[in-house]
Amino acid sequence: MEILHVEDLSFTYSLCSSPALKNVSFSVRKGEFCVLCGATGSGKSTLLRLLKKELIPNGEISGKALFNGKPTAEISDIDSASKIGFVMQRPEQQIVTDKVWHELAFGLENLGVPASEAARRVAEMASYFGIGEWYDKDVSELSGGQKQMLNLAAILVMKPEILILDEPTAQLDPIAASDFIATLRKLNHDLGLTILIAEHRLEETVPICDKLLVIEKGVLIADAPPEAAISELKAHPEILCGMPAASKLYTELDGGSSCPLTVRQGREFIAAAFKNDIRELPDTDNTLSGDTALEFKGVFFRYSKNSQDVLKGLDLKINQGELFCILGGNGSGKTTTLNAAAGLIKPYCGSIKVFDKKLKDYRNRSLYRDCLAMLPQDVQTVFLRNTVREELEDSGTDVSALPYDITHLLDKHPYDLSGGEQQLVALAKVLAASPKLLLLDEPTKGMDAAAKLKISSILRDLRDNGVTIVVVTHDVEFAAECADRCAMFFGGQVVSVEKSKRFFSENNFYTTAVNRITRDFYSDIVTHDDAVKICRMNGRKEALP
Amino acid sequence: MRSFSDINPLAAALYFFCVTGIAMFSSYPPVMALSLFGGVLFFIVRNGRSRAKSHLFFFILFMILLIANPLMSHNGVTVLFVMNDNPVTLEALLYGLNSAAMIVGVLYWFRSFTQIMTSDKLLYITGSLSPKLSLIISMALRFVPLFNKQSQKIKSSQTAMGLFKDDNIIDDIRARMRIFSILITWALENGITTADSMSARGYGCTRRSQFRRFRFHRSDVIFLIITAGLFALCCAALSCGSLEFTFYPAIKYSKPDLLGICGISAYSVLVLMPVIIETGVSLKWKYFMSKI
Repeated sequence: MEILHVEDLSFTYSLCSSPALKNVSFSVRKGEFCVLCGATGSGKSTLLRLLKKELIPNGEISGKALFNGKPTAEISDIDSASKIGFVMQRPEQQIVTDKVWHELAFGLENLGVPASEAARRVAEMASYFGIGEWYDKDVSELSGGQKQMLNLAAILVMKPEILILDEPTAQLDPIAASDFIATLRKLNHDLGLTILIAEHRLEETVPICDKLLVIEKGVLIADAPPEAAISELKAHPEILCGMPAASKLYTELDGGSSCPLTVRQGREFIAAAFKNDIRELPDTDNTLSGDTALEFKGVFFRYSKNSQDVLKGLDLKINQGELFCILGGNGSGKTTTLNAAAGLIKPYCGSIKVFDKKLKDYRNRSLYRDCLAMLPQDVQTVFLRNTVREELEDSGTDVSALPYDITHLLDKHPYDLSGGEQQLVALAKVLAASPKLLLLDEPTKGMDAAAKLKISSILRDLRDNGVTIVVVTHDVEFAAECADRCAMFFGGQVVSVEKSKRFFSENNFYTTAVNRITRDFYSDIVTHDDAVKICRMNGRKEALP
Repeated sequence: MRSFSDINPLAAALYFFCVTGIAMFSSYPPVMALSLFGGVLFFIVRNGRSRAKSHLFFFILFMILLIANPLMSHNGVTVLFVMNDNPVTLEALLYGLNSAAMIVGVLYWFRSFTQIMTSDKLLYITGSLSPKLSLIISMALRFVPLFNKQSQKIKSSQTAMGLFKDDNIIDDIRARMRIFSILITWALENGITTADSMSARGYGCTRRSQFRRFRFHRSDVIFLIITAGLFALCCAALSCGSLEFTFYPAIKYSKPDLLGICGISAYSVLVLMPVIIETGVSLKWKYFMSKI
């Protein structure tokens, strides 16, 4: 049975000349798990918002969007609020009240549900989500993942028939994101809840979805089960690059029988289709062991007298001119390390040297002049002005001298840019001070795959121009793509430092999907390009008779 | 029996209102003494020996109030001594003592009140008046710390980007003003998302109901009835003039009649009720423990 039916839907924002959506048609059946993907700015959010009456943006609509056979704009307020659940991207901003229990009850209060019934539904939901433990807490005490889980639960208490999610995991770390997606899958399986989700994290969502919708520049270019949809994407490399690693390899290598989606299927595909006579790619390493750019020696840090140490005797040495990635779980001290290197927090023991000079010897804030710059995790905090142009004039950036082009963004408000664009503008801002050491905290948060590739190539260019770059990231694929060396943090210490390739091929879990696919056949293959190369070198197996 | 802080917030609020109300509208010294005594005792029972600083503060305040009145007011017939050509009278001194006891006593009660009335309970109380008001309070309670946190974040990221370039105050102030202005933008921007999230969940589509976390148990009702009864007795005694006390020009008070004595006893029970409840609860636990 169709729950959602969209026919010929077009939309043009007011004050905009070109349409954001062009003749989009698709339908969703009850109980389906649909993934909507596409580059940033391709119209995903617009499409999703058009399906929810309360969130329809200003502009001109043509075509139809039917929910249970009724135009979405004609559904009663109460039905629209309760039956169409909508989860947005930013966990923090969606929360309305100050207490977890109140947030759960918020929707029911709005619908005027009587107290006794509300109490039962809230209790039920809190138990299903395991919220019981933090039921009485202040919302501000929760982690990002918990916040987003709370947002989901707060919508599910209203018993929606369809759940629409607009990049719900963009602001979460990978573990919280996997949890979130697993919960969605469970809801879909256990309750038969219909789900329509826009996502960049396709490695996890595509294998579990029933239908993949791909949108490019406002046009729906694929609407099919994932295997079939991906095969239509060969002509669209920008979208293909975000697909699961196995399916990318399959498409790039001109496949065979059916498109693999998971790591397991990927291994079966490689095992069946390719020889493995050549096990390694020729070594093309160019390591530099130049002077030290940043050095930690026995650094201890804690936030208050009675709390636990966040950094426990950290020793770390980063060479000049290298691109260094710091990986590790939540609370392992990655961000704290970066803050300490930038002099924002002071360790109670140990020393930190930047270019062989102790931090405290950089007097009068000279550290931040022509020496070191840091981009924080929440990149919004970098901006102080109303347009990008003013922002760049402030910092004295010469737009034409940048290694990338942001001229089309100059007249926008920094808050209106996408995550990737914000990162580029913020980077432009700090590059004006020509730092020799650049510290980046989670630069790829919330970005689509194409934007990640762009950032990684920009960072490599900067490195080639002699800038030392330290990146803290959760994003294994990104680190594998760009880093020279990687360090694994655990419990406030470095547990391993290795050249990027070695690092990932020695890890079992903390490694790229490509490495997990290829590790039994080839050694030290970490990135997609390397995998394609070695598969081509080996050649295909003879087709079995 | 449950501890005083677990009593239904409406009942507890009503109780505080009664105790402090009587203390504020009467000027009968024994009532003041009882209110001060009860307030201090309850605060100590709740907090134990900690909070020495609060006690010190209240003591200093008490002394200041006590001394200020005779220095300012020269009413009264019994002159104790003359200072700077102004008479200092016994009546003014006693009046000062009385009002100091009243103010400090009420402040002690409010201290305990704020400790017991967490934001949840305040929401419950305001929610029974108006669900909308309660939502606004809840949003404000969430927003203020969020605003502070963001301001800290912006400040540290701007430091690392070199906004505060020199150690000079004017530069710092200018940078801080810019941070404040972008904070306003940020707050408005966030407001849009929050508003979307509210309307997506049906805010304003019908009359709001109120989710209740607290119920009236039998013990709450009993507590309310006792409070109301005692309060009524006190009010009766006050309004019939049985607890009349005038300081100026000379001290004059009516000899307490039966109603007056009833009023005073009722107030003393009222004031001691929380302490009685707390002691009862801890005794009960001791008893249970010894049985285990």
